[in-house]
Amino acid sequence: MPGTRRRRRETPDRGLALLAALALGLYLVFLVLPLLLSLRSSFTNENPLRATNDFVGLRNYTEMVGDEQLRASLKVTLLLAFGVTIAANAIGVGFAILLNRTNLSYRVMRTVAFLPQVLSGVIVGFVWQTILTQNGVLNTALLKIGVLDEPYPWLGSPNAALFSIGVVVAWVLSGFTTVVYLAALQSIPLELHDMASLDGVRGTQRFRMVTWPMIAPGTTISVTISLITVLKLYDIIAVLTAGGPANSTQSTALYIVKLAFTSDRVGYASAVAMLLLALSALVALTVTGALRRREVSL
Amino acid sequence: MTTVAPSGGTRERTSLAAGIGAVPPERAGARPTGRPRRFGGRFRILVAAAVTLVFVAPIYLMLVNAFKSQDDILANPITPPWPPTLENVTQALTRPDNLIPLGLRNSLIVAVVSVALLVPLGSAFSFYISRRRGRTKAAILVAFAAGLMIPPQVTLLPTIKILTWIGLDHTYPGLILSNLGGGYLSFAVFVYVGFMRSVPDEIIQAARLDGASGLRVWWQIVMPLVRPATATVVIFLTLWIWNDFLNPLFILGPLQGQTITTGLYLTIGQYSVDYGQLFGIMFLAGILPVLGYLTVQKQFVAGLTSGASK
Repeated sequence: MPGTRRRRRETPDRGLALLAALALGLYLVFLVLPLLLSLRSSFTNENPLRATNDFVGLRNYTEMVGDEQLRASLKVTLLLAFGVTIAANAIGVGFAILLNRTNLSYRVMRTVAFLPQVLSGVIVGFVWQTILTQNGVLNTALLKIGVLDEPYPWLGSPNAALFSIGVVVAWVLSGFTTVVYLAALQSIPLELHDMASLDGVRGTQRFRMVTWPMIAPGTTISVTISLITVLKLYDIIAVLTAGGPANSTQSTALYIVKLAFTSDRVGYASAVAMLLLALSALVALTVTGALRRREVSL
Repeated sequence: MTTVAPSGGTRERTSLAAGIGAVPPERAGARPTGRPRRFGGRFRILVAAAVTLVFVAPIYLMLVNAFKSQDDILANPITPPWPPTLENVTQALTRPDNLIPLGLRNSLIVAVVSVALLVPLGSAFSFYISRRRGRTKAAILVAFAAGLMIPPQVTLLPTIKILTWIGLDHTYPGLILSNLGGGYLSFAVFVYVGFMRSVPDEIIQAARLDGASGLRVWWQIVMPLVRPATATVVIFLTLWIWNDFLNPLFILGPLQGQTITTGLYLTIGQYSVDYGQLFGIMFLAGILPVLGYLTVQKQFVAGLTSGASK
């Protein structure tokens, strides 16, 4: 039977196979091939201003070891990735629990909570710039109510700028995490809560014993996507600080773009890109793996 | 494959609890006495409203200040626009460089053409591969899933190089072509493959025995069955491609006209003091995705959470 089915399938399937092959071809040309080209370029001194490029072996990779800007950018990237992921997921869980009701007003609030996720990073960046800039909304308000005596440089001092960017990115991601956790909360069988009530388990204890383990699959997807999003984040930082002041908010993603398009150091940029790729893979695989195992053990 | 919409399973509870008034629906069964809860009813909604307000404050600012004069914005950035002025918006629309109309048009073309091609490519590929077995299939699917995680900065430069080889660098067809092959296709395949699994084999075999070709089975039988997947793919890819910044910025370059995001980025610098103009532009650039989201909100949330519950 399977044999006849297969033979039957051969000829009339050609059109479909062609379409599938086209999709695969596009994927190979615009994702796999660029990866390979990037890898090759990372072993060269490629520079668009030079006529010829030479293989330089591992020189780009050894240069990375002593590159202060790279080290700083990695620190920025990891701080943002983990800080924002923790913040956005904590906010998401809290917000989801708060909004986990079905009346109209709660539904309206849920709709609204996701809005930041819909706007482009460029718009998000500019809106927050009007809030955080020296004579922006935040400083104006804080001066008016007397919390501050003089405007605070939310985007102008290195530490504050990184923190501000973290807040903005966490704000955007919280819309997403809230929706994911809401779905996870609603997949908890009502009986479980009822049983907990009968046993007198409530408040934080119920959260720890019932809610938190039950939303573990939601946590896995939400944490993984948060991490990946921050690791490749470009637009919000580009608009808010462009990596400044003094490179204090320059993530590795921004550094790569600067190396490639401003410094024209394509070869070295490719090597750094390989590092970011490895870092993303490492973070995604280890964290997702750990969270998956946790789902099982809970 | 299960799709869990936050409102889905709870509708029944709502109607059950409808007569019980202020008691939160999911407590209704457990608390027949309706005794006030420590954190329920009025207090809860006040907290929720307060948190939501803080949360949307930046969007509120964007909205109200688009309809205020420059002096008004500087003096009272957080008050509602009364009387509202349309000057910012009309000024943004009638700029000599046509930033908004051109940007919206270009973004629309790129997003619509990309998605219109990504849907058949992604679903046909997923259908084809989901009817196959074995290691090759698994390997190809893993390779596609990996595409979701690759930072675009890694593939950007070589992509431009490849487009240069085929003479499509700094063009819209080039940008669209690069959209078709990258992480967007990964996402489409990822979503479709999940849904294809739930299409019963018998239906497809019956159609095949009637002599329908693979293409016909895919288009006339499978596609209608996986409509929720198509909704998810269309909604999210449109939004992401519309909001994409890095690729259009470098693949199109500054000379090829702008999408709405790159246009905003490249022109807005000169308006750093003219807040009225700035907010007018941002309002026009942001209103379409927001309206789109509000229209298809249900499918949006369903799509977002279907992945989470798999």
